[in-house]
Amino acid sequence: MVKKFLLMATLIMSGMFAEDAYERHCVPCHAPLPTSLQRMFMNHLLVYGGEHNFKAALKHYLRYPSKDISVMSDLFIDNFGIKEKSTLSDEELDEAIDIYWSKFKVFNKLK
Amino acid sequence: MLALKNKATNSLLKSEKKSLLRFLVLYTAMVMLMIMLLSVFYYQGQEKLMLAQERATLSKYAYIQTKRLKVLHHFFDERTTYPRDPRFRSAIYDNEFVKIFSLAKEENIYFDKEIYIAGNMIHFIETLDNYYLGARYLVIEVDDDTGWRTEIWRRIFGYGSVIFIFFMLFGFYLAKLFLKPMRDSIVLLDRFIKDTTHELNAPLSAILANIEMMDMDVMAEKNKKRLARINIAAKTVSTLYQDLTYLTLEHERRNEDELVEIKPLLEDRVEYFNAWIQSKKLECLMDMEDVTIIIDKRKLTRVIDNLISNAIKYNQRGGTIGIELREGMLMIWDTGIGIEKEKIPLMFDRYMRFDESEGGFGIGLSIVKKILDEYHILIEVESEVKKGTRMILKW
Repeated sequence: MVKKFLLMATLIMSGMFAEDAYERHCVPCHAPLPTSLQRMFMNHLLVYGGEHNFKAALKHYLRYPSKDISVMSDLFIDNFGIKEKSTLSDEELDEAIDIYWSKFKVFNKLK
Repeated sequence: MLALKNKATNSLLKSEKKSLLRFLVLYTAMVMLMIMLLSVFYYQGQEKLMLAQERATLSKYAYIQTKRLKVLHHFFDERTTYPRDPRFRSAIYDNEFVKIFSLAKEENIYFDKEIYIAGNMIHFIETLDNYYLGARYLVIEVDDDTGWRTEIWRRIFGYGSVIFIFFMLFGFYLAKLFLKPMRDSIVLLDRFIKDTTHELNAPLSAILANIEMMDMDVMAEKNKKRLARINIAAKTVSTLYQDLTYLTLEHERRNEDELVEIKPLLEDRVEYFNAWIQSKKLECLMDMEDVTIIIDKRKLTRVIDNLISNAIKYNQRGGTIGIELREGMLMIWDTGIGIEKEKIPLMFDRYMRFDESEGGFGIGLSIVKKILDEYHILIEVESEVKKGTRMILKW
């Protein structure tokens, strides 16, 4: 019980005092999931390709999440469900997505 | 008869040469343009054929590379080494044409084409259905074996030369066909002149002999004038007869070159044309030195007669004729109608006449040029319209 409380407190605290929008609004909820944000990024990239497409599609999904347009497998959705609609402002959402893109983009990583 | 005809008309006239040259230039340009167009089409056809042959191989490479990209995508970012293959180089671009990674030597990519030649390389563009690593376009690059190009150029130059030679020969045949009507009319005119010339001699000699024999002292002044006019007319016809005889029969006669004193000959010819000069009230200025030349006297007479008769014929009433003779130079000038500069090169062509108001066949100056060329004597023409003409002979 104490352990659970400590874990929750750590997650909440790390979210509250995170440096950027991505760390604040994305990481805390995705941390307990078995599929990493990196893997989700690659799934999304596989479908939407270029930067503008990627960002626009992700923003739309975060605003209007749906099983039909999710890039995750049915098994994943059945287990963890569809996320809640994002209540973030446009600016915050854009900032978080920009950071997400910069963090996991393929550019300059291949050798 | 046929031999005579051919000899007389064998050489091309300037106007004929000009027509022939114009036709040949135009024809050659057309033939070259046609060969160039054919070459371009042939080259493009062969290039397409080569690319079609390469397409199968490059498509296979693209398939292999796509599978490798798929694997890399699923293991990214544990694995970050882009798959390489010694048979080709590749590059990946996203759907906004932004380069993700490239091993290609040629960075300038044409995404609207499937396969094309880029410098010394061939590019094959594969559009991916799944955007592995975010890539929509996979570019496969291989070195272009330029052997096919050398072979094409060899064929183009080889067959092109054969076609060019064939068409040029055909062009010469065509040119001959075009010039035939012109040539035929010249031959016809030559034959007509030759036939009629024979019939002119006897009556003309009789007229001139009888004029000489007439006793002018017992004649009334009115009749003297009439006789002078008959004399001029007969001499004009005689000059024409001499020209026509020269033109049609001269080649049958051998040259009788001798040392000729030009001054007395000129004085004699001026005297011969005196009645005509008087009738046009022309002033004749003669400034002559004693000069000799080795020439056939008959031919020199034809030259002088033609130049003086032209100076009289095309002079204005009351004008001036000048004859200046120096060592190596004879100038005969007049104050006549003159001739336009651009027409000067054509004035020595046979049957070329610029002033239809005066009689004649247009053969005089053609004979003059022929004789002068034979003796390597230069002729210069200086003329100004309505002011006069200077014919300068230099040897």
